[in-house]
Amino acid sequence: MSLTDSLKTPTAKPRTRIKKGFYATIEPYLFLLPAFTIFALFLFYPFGRTIYLSTYLTDKLGNAKVFWGLRNYTDLFSSSSFWASVGVTFQFVAIVAFGGLIVGLTTSLLTTRKYPGVTFASASYAMPVAIASAAASMAFRMILHPTNGLLNILLGTQVNWTGDPKWALFSVSMVTIWLASGINFIFISAGLRGVPDELYESASIDGAGYWRKLVSITLPSISPTLFFQIIINIISAFQSFSQIRLLTQGGPGDATNVIVYAIYRDAFFNFRFGTAAARSIILFVIVLIITLIQFSFEKRSVHY
Amino acid sequence: MASLAARRNLNKLGNMLLNIPMLLLILAPLIYTLLISVMPADEIYQNVLIPSSINLNNYSKAFTHPAYNFLTFIRNSFIVSTSVMLGQMVTCSLAAFAFAFLDFRGKKWLFILVLATMMVPGEATIIANYLTVARWGWLDSFQVLIVPYLTSAMGIFLMRQNYLTFSRELHEAAQIDGCNNPRFMASIVVPLSRPALGALGAYVFLNTWNQYMWPLLVTNSSSFRTVQIGISMLYDIDAESLGLMMAGVVIVIVPSLSIFIFMQKQLINGLMAGAVKG
Repeated sequence: MSLTDSLKTPTAKPRTRIKKGFYATIEPYLFLLPAFTIFALFLFYPFGRTIYLSTYLTDKLGNAKVFWGLRNYTDLFSSSSFWASVGVTFQFVAIVAFGGLIVGLTTSLLTTRKYPGVTFASASYAMPVAIASAAASMAFRMILHPTNGLLNILLGTQVNWTGDPKWALFSVSMVTIWLASGINFIFISAGLRGVPDELYESASIDGAGYWRKLVSITLPSISPTLFFQIIINIISAFQSFSQIRLLTQGGPGDATNVIVYAIYRDAFFNFRFGTAAARSIILFVIVLIITLIQFSFEKRSVHY
Repeated sequence: MASLAARRNLNKLGNMLLNIPMLLLILAPLIYTLLISVMPADEIYQNVLIPSSINLNNYSKAFTHPAYNFLTFIRNSFIVSTSVMLGQMVTCSLAAFAFAFLDFRGKKWLFILVLATMMVPGEATIIANYLTVARWGWLDSFQVLIVPYLTSAMGIFLMRQNYLTFSRELHEAAQIDGCNNPRFMASIVVPLSRPALGALGAYVFLNTWNQYMWPLLVTNSSSFRTVQIGISMLYDIDAESLGLMMAGVVIVIVPSLSIFIFMQKQLINGLMAGAVKG
């Protein structure tokens, strides 16, 4: 409307129109309105609410009752079970981040050449991205079953993989690596396709073998991809919940009580919503720090 | 030359053989689940790996037995996933259109705000969200499963990246021809964005279908439970029937796997956009 109006005056050009009509001014915000309404209700508000609740003692329904300042935080920092939970989380995250990377790197290196069946192999390696963590956890519950499970049958053992404190964290980590292997494969494969062929050709002329090329060409060339993928693995491992809830319920004892599961326990078993909120903020800060580390590295080291 | 060709074939064979252990590792959970789901019950407890005959009792039980009620779970998940998918297609397209084609005050900051939402893990706000919807009396309903997920920063980002490939002149030409923004969007931008919309749709549908934590918290009655909660409940109902549990897993995985197989390209495009968060 305003555009056609302004065309009538010979001096005004469409790009430099100064006055917009009322509708033209608010139109962009109307386009944003649906998305921002949802963000406001289910992201901005609960985020503020979580900070608020983390400074209160709550009743069983989660209503803020007594202002508690930072004591929810200081109580957590001085409790050994909180630090146990943090320790378990970091162990879990480290195993999953590197395990996922190694599986992803292996599967993508196995599918770089052309040979019969490579399409099937690639699709199979990417497939875990489509499988729900809950469904996979149920399948692994059967595989890890203490008396009738596949793993014990194959190994000829009777290990209680999810119920033995020695094995529980290891078991949920392996399940999570399986779940993460698809996305690792997809990204690392994409990284490998970006390595220029000339590098390999000149290395072959110099007589370099497979492993030499892998160590001196492939890995350095895809190091930004590997770094990015580790960060993705770390962040998604911090958010794991289904496999913990369905395989170990955070146990035995606190052996697999990772931060997200501890939030769930606090809120829905102990009805301590203030503490759960404080843990949520701590989770947010950890993820934020990792993201910032990623940003600062990306600025400095995006060169091949 | 013949020896070179022979060496190449040997290489190919070696490559194929090297894949076998890795393939077994990745595919074993699915194959094993399928085998257990059709295995006669007594063989499961004799630790047999390959069933002697195929038994579909577990499937018919999962679908017809009122305690398991899989048809309801599947219907619920379809309603929720489809609604979230369509909703995100609309809200994300609209917001992305503003960010890509329109000029307005605060545009830069609002876009940074959208990107910043990607840094907040959903698990960190889930308690406050739960308390909010509980206060509204939304627990055990379809809207509680759908409405909170009707937009996403990743979707806005994906659609905006796609719109930025359109030339600004196209938009200006349309305006000069008297085509207003909604019409420009509906008749030109959306039809040309079908690949991006497909990627967003496949990704969002699958993610919603696979959701576990939120549906677990906000649904109690089986009439609103989704498939992922449904299969995890099979164990609580009857820990002894391992075969039934595995049939449930197969039923729930089939739609996920179909999307993966038939929309692999779109799904991977969506995933790649989604993981650019961080």
